Amino acid sequence: MSGLARIARRGRPRPNGLTIFGVVTLGCLLFLGVFGPWLPLGDPSRIAAGPRLDAPSAQFLFGTDELGRNFLPRVVQGIRSTFLLSAVAVAITAVIGTLLGMAAGYLGRHTDQIVARGADILFAFPALVAGLLVAAIMGPGQASAITVISIATLPLFIRVVRSVTLGVAGRGFVTAAEVAGASTLRVMLVHLLPNVMGAVIVQLTYALSIGMIIESGLSFLGLGVQPPNASLGSLLRQGSAYLTIAPWMVLSSGVVLSLAIMSVNLVGDAVRDALEPLKGRPLT
Amino acid sequence: MTAPLVDIADLVIGYDTGMRQVRALDGASLRIDEDETLAIVGESGSGKTTLGMAAGRLLPPEAKVIGGSIHVAGVDVTRADDEALRRLRHDKLGFVFQNPTTALDPTLRIGRQVALAMGGRPPPEAIAELLSRAELNESERILRAFPHELSGGMAQRVVIAMAIARRPHLLIADEPTASLDASIREKVMSTLGRLRAESGASLVILSHDLRMVARHADRVAVMYGGRIVELGSVTRVMQAPAHPYTRALLTAAAGNERPGERLCPIPGTPPILESRCEACAYADRCAFRETRCDTERPEARPFLGREVVCHRAEAVIGAPTQARQEDR
Repeated sequence: MSGLARIARRGRPRPNGLTIFGVVTLGCLLFLGVFGPWLPLGDPSRIAAGPRLDAPSAQFLFGTDELGRNFLPRVVQGIRSTFLLSAVAVAITAVIGTLLGMAAGYLGRHTDQIVARGADILFAFPALVAGLLVAAIMGPGQASAITVISIATLPLFIRVVRSVTLGVAGRGFVTAAEVAGASTLRVMLVHLLPNVMGAVIVQLTYALSIGMIIESGLSFLGLGVQPPNASLGSLLRQGSAYLTIAPWMVLSSGVVLSLAIMSVNLVGDAVRDALEPLKGRPLT
Repeated sequence: MTAPLVDIADLVIGYDTGMRQVRALDGASLRIDEDETLAIVGESGSGKTTLGMAAGRLLPPEAKVIGGSIHVAGVDVTRADDEALRRLRHDKLGFVFQNPTTALDPTLRIGRQVALAMGGRPPPEAIAELLSRAELNESERILRAFPHELSGGMAQRVVIAMAIARRPHLLIADEPTASLDASIREKVMSTLGRLRAESGASLVILSHDLRMVARHADRVAVMYGGRIVELGSVTRVMQAPAHPYTRALLTAAAGNERPGERLCPIPGTPPILESRCEACAYADRCAFRETRCDTERPEARPFLGREVVCHRAEAVIGAPTQARQEDR
């Protein structure tokens, strides 16, 4: 067993074409999202920068919208807000979910019952229903988008971290640390956390893509990012009204959104394969 | 000291398995003195690991102490508060686990793990000295290594070094050599025995290999059905077993059979107890069974310099052995 693992670790898997495509696409989108405001693409909120609903041209690569705004910088702004919102939400969720999952798996008993049942309840909630509920309570906006993404992705982290923790907590080194007089917090931070990090990182990428879907869904319904700011979801909604006369709005934002989610998933698969080298690869 | 290091009295422990409760220990009593090596021998499921882990209250949350008591170095383990228990574990106990690859944290370098076991930030010379006591050379390389980079024998020596790091009074080794190659089992056992003798601690070896532990232990306790069925000095018990189960274990184990001789496996499987056993737990598999074995629970009684839990001890010890005595 350990021998097999050692052999498998020696040879790093060669990245395949899909992985390279995913990494390159994600890299480009992240670059646009991070540096977009400083790139010479034009002002996303300047009205009447050109004719209204103008088709893509050399001057306006993605055309213009019904207010004559240049659509390319709007899509770039959409990438930025979609990525940023879901990344912030997923990062917060990962920290909370990892702590709760470790506590549930390690402390067991009542803590486990409460946390695991809580995760089940959250898991049973459709994200859209939760979104409507949260938006009704908190009002539409970025804060409610973050809350909804957290509600939807928290059980993913809790479940995975809890099950990995259960396996790790039964091993000798945890008992040895307890015998050595280590506190519960120390066992969790020094021994459990590094051992569950692999699972957390894999889950992180999947949660990010789910977060992006939820964010665009909420913004499409008008519950997420509010005008004049753009997100990929709100651009889709904006463009859907002019689908027959100006299809470039829906096309550009839709294609970019699909690419974003697909590339995150492809990178997630690659990360999983790298961290669990024995799964899905021939042993030879 | 007059009080024994460990005093386990009539201990009953059950595991909740959802629908029902399974008894792992059904009235186990055992005293362990300072500076001795005791082997606890039994099949899987006999309760030996439960007994060993109970000494440090290291049982999983499903385990419930139903009756009896455990005192280790004067501390009532089942009733002590968390701080007293933490002190007891820290100052008095050391554990060596069956499988060194799971007993070491895969994410930490050996040096850091040993340092943690020694209690924080010991000087590097102290770590190297500890490793050399466990017969690990090349401490430079080992301290920088991750657990998967060590061989099984080296990893087990690291585990042993960590177990003795705080100079425990009681060292509990659960199948310390079961996952190792046969060629290094004996060496690792010798290291363990030598370290015990140097420190004057007591060593408890949990094992299913009666012959292997016989070479390293002073006393042996044979467990069956959650009780200690025979307890005495290794020479006495091995040469003339008074409990039919001990006898069967000796004839079932490979070791010193002559050419042409057959090993005799013990028929049947160990019992799963759900309540106090009101008969002899071994009766179903016993060749010496008589009617009262099915109706009357045998109690521990002194017999020829040992303690035995059997109605038929006289008949067992008098029965012709299958000539297995030239061992040792």
